[in-house]
Amino acid sequence: MRLRLIYSPKVVEKPILATVILKTGVPLNILEAKVNAQRGELVVSIPAKGEKLQRVISLFQDSGVEVQLLTETLQIDLEKCISCGACISPCPTGALRFRPDWTIDFVEEKCVTCKVCVKACPVKAISIP
Amino acid sequence: MGGKEQSRRIRSVKEINEKIKRGDAVVLTAEEMIDLVESSGLEVAAKEVDVVTTGTFGAMCSSGAFLNFGHANPPIKMVRCWLNDVPVYKGLAAVDGYLGAAAMSETRGFEYGGGHVIEDLLSGKEVELRGESYGTDCYPRRHVETTITLDDLNQAVLVNPRNCYQTYDAATNSSDRVLYTYMGTLLPNYGNVTFSGAGQLNPLCKDRYYETIGVGTRIFLGGGVGYIIGEGTQHSPQGGFGTLMVKGDMKQMSSRYLRGASFYNYGTTLYVGIGIPIPIINMRVAETASLRDEDIYVKIRDYGAPLRPDLRPVVRKVSYAELRSGKVTINGRDVPSSPLSSYKMALEIAEVLKKWILEGEFFLTEPVEPLPKYREVKPMKLRRRELTVQDVMRRDVVTASPEDDIKTVAKKLVERGVDHLPVVDKDSRLLGIVTSWDLAKAIAQGSERLEEIMTRRVITAYGDESVDVVVRRMAQHNISGVPVVDRFKRVVGILTTDDVSRRLVGRPTG
Repeated sequence: MRLRLIYSPKVVEKPILATVILKTGVPLNILEAKVNAQRGELVVSIPAKGEKLQRVISLFQDSGVEVQLLTETLQIDLEKCISCGACISPCPTGALRFRPDWTIDFVEEKCVTCKVCVKACPVKAISIP
Repeated sequence: MGGKEQSRRIRSVKEINEKIKRGDAVVLTAEEMIDLVESSGLEVAAKEVDVVTTGTFGAMCSSGAFLNFGHANPPIKMVRCWLNDVPVYKGLAAVDGYLGAAAMSETRGFEYGGGHVIEDLLSGKEVELRGESYGTDCYPRRHVETTITLDDLNQAVLVNPRNCYQTYDAATNSSDRVLYTYMGTLLPNYGNVTFSGAGQLNPLCKDRYYETIGVGTRIFLGGGVGYIIGEGTQHSPQGGFGTLMVKGDMKQMSSRYLRGASFYNYGTTLYVGIGIPIPIINMRVAETASLRDEDIYVKIRDYGAPLRPDLRPVVRKVSYAELRSGKVTINGRDVPSSPLSSYKMALEIAEVLKKWILEGEFFLTEPVEPLPKYREVKPMKLRRRELTVQDVMRRDVVTASPEDDIKTVAKKLVERGVDHLPVVDKDSRLLGIVTSWDLAKAIAQGSERLEEIMTRRVITAYGDESVDVVVRRMAQHNISGVPVVDRFKRVVGILTTDDVSRRLVGRPTG
């Protein structure tokens, strides 16, 4: 899974990435980096799945970093997403579903990029790269 | 348990507030209350628990804010006003306005509306204000253009005429095309079911008989403190459709709990977060406060029929538990279901409200007036019977049979001056349609029999359908006429856009 990490001025100077690696033991790989004094934007690849991936995402979010899921098929902006579920039942292949904590789970293997979810999302949190 | 026993006072709101002040009130979210009742029984739960907190976070179109912009110098009496190109209602004093969540931007349409302006103001963004006037002796200015933030406003008061539906009927679609509705994307042929409402967390489900919720009740509204100011519009509690009118100071609120949204090809709205504390004053309130999704039922209605909401056909009744399971059975088939309102946010709101009470920051209120327990919702009174297809259609339909020779048919079209030719069998049952364009093409390409060129999948109308509905159908399929058929598919007439426009021009206006 690839993530885009957006650092605001408040957190741009903190060693968040290193902390996440140390805490989770997941060897993140930086694919792209644009950082200046105001803002930072990293694209990283994460060799982890399921709960471990979720923990990496939560750690970034808890440190004040905005996390976007970058996939070949579609992107869900987790900052915008309100976990309503309006995208779930219109999805013809069952690629979108709830996690037990009622946040949205995206199963990339099932996605056929039909874009039905893009129209269905009321807060424009889903886009196709 | 008898009614008398059920309504016997367990504790008063005053006693609960004293406990909150002392820091020893027992407060549970509605989910926790359900668990406690399941493990220890209703009697124990009612004895132990002082307050149950509830929450809901869903699209609530009847929402908006009264704003006071302050006076410019020289001053203006704004008769028209826009915020980020979204029209603000200006039938009020010079610099007062009401920004409605469903008002849409005049430049961005479905993309951006009043709900988004409210969210932008709450996120601290600058918003463009534009105002126009005719100029008066006391308010000479005629135009104003500036940018404002929430801090610049004297007052920003959220006043929502209809929020917090107790329950809401779920939606599906029997038609053969995708529908984009305020209930989200509905796939054809009962392809999915969408629903709204927090079910077992919903405030009005948890005080089913309106014993503690009323005018003046202090609530969580959009992340700040708000109040119930009355029944909401279309309040109809006897059938499970109670609603609330609420208000609160927007300056205390947060964009986390008030989110602008837009439903594709429908319009813009506002997701509103509301949480209401339910004081457990008697056994009846304790009982409704522990209702589960399994106990709360709604109807699934078919949005494939373009009818008044209460006339949309009912497919079946269903519990919130089944809806929330992710699939619902319709006609023996599993159909995916999903909500439009956020259960996760509803839970968060119930948790936040619980925290406020436990920390002694939020006290409960007794209603100043109760809300009505019975209200009929009347449909709009129409002065005239709705124009139906049979009022406008032509009955002398020129038809053809599939074996007909193309040249003969072309001749018939020219002689009778028509563009649409339904193709029927010997019992007048519809088999297909050809238009003058199809015929011209067929002659150019040398086809001979009508069967070879006719369109077999014909868009039709029934005589008792509303003309507006059929006009929309023609526009959606980009066609200019439809055969009118009876329930046996026999052609009884034809309706074209020409017939409709002729009728509309001739329609009395008084």
